[in-house]
Amino acid sequence: MARIKTLLKNPRIIILLIALLLGLFAVHPNPWNKGVVIKSITKNSAAAMAGFQLPEKITPMSREKIISINNKPISNMQEYYEIINEIGYNQTIQIRTNKKTYKIITRPQIERIELNETETVNITKTIQINQTINGTTQTINKTITKQEERPKIKEKITGVEPIGLRVANAPKSNIRKGLDLEGGTRVLLKPAEKTSKETMELMVDSLKQRLNVYGLADVKVTLVTDRPGIIGEGTQYILVEIAGATEEEVKDLLSKQGKFEAKIGNKTVFKGGKDITYVCKTADCSGIDPNRPCGKNEEGWICGFRFAITLNPEAAKRQAQLTKNLKVIDDVLEEKLILYLDDQQVDELNIAADLKGRAVTDIAITGFGKGPSQTLAMQETLKNMKRLQTILITGSLPVKLKIERMDNISPTLGKEFLKNAIYIGILAIIAVVTIIITVYRKILIAIPIITTALSEVFLILAMAALIGWNLDLAAIAGIILAVGTGVDDQIVITDEVLRKEEGTHIYNWKQKIKRAFFIIFSAYTTTMVAMTPLLFAGAGLIKGFAITTMLGVSIGVLITRPAYAAITEWLLKK
Amino acid sequence: MGLKSALLNIYDKKYKKLMIISLLLVILSIGYLGYNYATTGELFKKGVSLKGGITLTIPVQEKQNLKQIEKTIKNQLPKADLTIRELTEAGKPKAIIIEASDTTPDELIKATKKTSLTVEKGNYNIENMGSTLGQSFFKQTTKSIIIAFILMSIVVFITFRALVPSLFVILAAVSDIISTIAAADFLGIKMSTAGIAALLMLIGYSVDTDILLTTKVLKRRKEGGPLFERTIKAAKTGLTMSLTSLAAAAISLIFAQSNTLKQIMLIIVIGLLFDIVYTWIQNAGILRLYMEKKHGTH
Repeated sequence: MARIKTLLKNPRIIILLIALLLGLFAVHPNPWNKGVVIKSITKNSAAAMAGFQLPEKITPMSREKIISINNKPISNMQEYYEIINEIGYNQTIQIRTNKKTYKIITRPQIERIELNETETVNITKTIQINQTINGTTQTINKTITKQEERPKIKEKITGVEPIGLRVANAPKSNIRKGLDLEGGTRVLLKPAEKTSKETMELMVDSLKQRLNVYGLADVKVTLVTDRPGIIGEGTQYILVEIAGATEEEVKDLLSKQGKFEAKIGNKTVFKGGKDITYVCKTADCSGIDPNRPCGKNEEGWICGFRFAITLNPEAAKRQAQLTKNLKVIDDVLEEKLILYLDDQQVDELNIAADLKGRAVTDIAITGFGKGPSQTLAMQETLKNMKRLQTILITGSLPVKLKIERMDNISPTLGKEFLKNAIYIGILAIIAVVTIIITVYRKILIAIPIITTALSEVFLILAMAALIGWNLDLAAIAGIILAVGTGVDDQIVITDEVLRKEEGTHIYNWKQKIKRAFFIIFSAYTTTMVAMTPLLFAGAGLIKGFAITTMLGVSIGVLITRPAYAAITEWLLKK
Repeated sequence: MGLKSALLNIYDKKYKKLMIISLLLVILSIGYLGYNYATTGELFKKGVSLKGGITLTIPVQEKQNLKQIEKTIKNQLPKADLTIRELTEAGKPKAIIIEASDTTPDELIKATKKTSLTVEKGNYNIENMGSTLGQSFFKQTTKSIIIAFILMSIVVFITFRALVPSLFVILAAVSDIISTIAAADFLGIKMSTAGIAALLMLIGYSVDTDILLTTKVLKRRKEGGPLFERTIKAAKTGLTMSLTSLAAAAISLIFAQSNTLKQIMLIIVIGLLFDIVYTWIQNAGILRLYMEKKHGTH
């Protein structure tokens, strides 16, 4: 008993115990954790309106957990969906979480169909005939009310609008599994032209928004760089990781870059995204263009659409600048406003003479769609309009992105990999321990070796959880190799302390361990410097390997190996 | 004991002859890589992650006829550069890996569906690497190895504060990496980014044992004991280290299901085997020659 006390009083053991305790807090394991947690909240959804919020940075275990819905307890995803799918629209549901209780009012899903028949409505207009660009600022006193025919719109309720919560089964610990182990799609994108860091960050933001708008689960968009300098080429990439999405979905999404630009005489007036502060999506200011309704030509049917947007003052000023010196021909300016989507002309608009040199913030965007029949043309037109609206709202990407690498990992294979890695780890430790027992012919030596190896693995995982690092295959390789060097160092220590004294010098335990640590520290430094270049190469895709290896050997040298020396000394010193 | 003392005798008395073997290994490796360079323009075969292309991994339950699969895909995609491998876990087939360049993922999947393999949505992995990105990765990782060597050399110089013995350590590490690359290529491995990462790790492993040897032989000279005995003592420690690392890496190699892990572990295993030769024969030999010249025979 007294002997155990001396061991526990050893500062090196105390440091290890404290590290393990802190690690336990970081990993926060709870194998019995049940229920569903909230992974994301859709913008402007019923849930967002009810007050659900998602903090920027959150550890898996601190995610908000749903306890009950309408007083029915929820313990898994199936129960969650069973209840949610039964709820109709315009109902109030009560969701109790571990934080608070929310009241969500469900909304109906409404589909707006434009019918072939038209209706006559009173419209307040500021539009001049043949002019599609128009200002509605107060100074233009051309507002008139007139009767107009426009397509009848039928509103059909098709069901319940999703409440906007994305949930997942409650995690068992704070360790985050990477895409390699969880399955999903990973895309590495590179801008087609040289781009400033600011612009890249803007693109990351808008990509995040767009991917969320399209309703994909669990999106991670990060900016990665081959750092400038001798190793990397300073290339910036955007890494998009989407758990549970298929390759086609992501590709389809990313191939539509959505670079929207409006130009007058080859000079850009405004771009989609930051120049646009508001995009109208309601029927009163968006839909089939009353000035260019569906018509028939040689090829088939063609319909026009229009919707109102609001520009920021800078863009409006630019428009004023560019139109200032243009000539007026027949009530319109000599140059047209040309709209481009992904460098393809979508439409061209006449600019009304009275807009010349004026900073107008409210303008209309138009376009068209074609089809073999009127219905199909109308459908196509509305689809085009919706797409353009989304691009303008969510912010289009200022620079085109090229897909440089695309990986799709199946979730079943990922799970297999994880199981396999744990299995390998156990086998490797058994093999190492067997060899060491055979070499030293001391069974007791197995205790400190297994203890330190397991503590090392645990502390690496804890560090990964703490810094929010995802555990992937390369990281697992790093852990195995770090523990491998750990065992090597333990052998150096064991040999130094167990060696029979020969020659003139007799060393005490302290000196022996000091001597062992000279070798260990030199070896540690070489491993560290050899891995450092990897931190900067390969667009961060092999960073996981370098980070876990470096973390592992550092934890080993600073925490677990001194403790190993202490335990060995305590066990074997006679 | 007869064998042990005979081996020790060879190691002690014939160390110069043993050094010739290790020298031949280095020359052979350099020659092999040089021949590669002369004939193909590249030192070693690169996998898709370093040159661009597609990797398709499809899980299987039983043995597959790889030749038949290759023939069927080749018929569909005559232009593609194909490699088909089997991934095994303890000898049991686990997955088929198809690496292809000069084709598209869609085409490859379409062609693979015509084979005996079951290609269903969600059951396979597909990785597609752009060729410019692959080339840039290759450049960067090559640079990483060179920089790692420079940094490692500085650390070794600082540790021993003696130019010549430090150069021996670096020479051993360089020989180890060169031979490992040559042997891996000879075994038909196509180097990936993971493989390069393993090479960097190997620098650390390789230098470990050399530092151990040099410390014991050079720094602990005053502690007494003949030089050869100090070498043997260091070798006992060092070989135990290599043995445990080899066991762990070999087990991971045999049982790993993932291609990334398998390549990393294979390179570590090859490198550790070469490291035994380059540390305990080459480095120990030249260090002995150097010490005897400097301090006379003990």
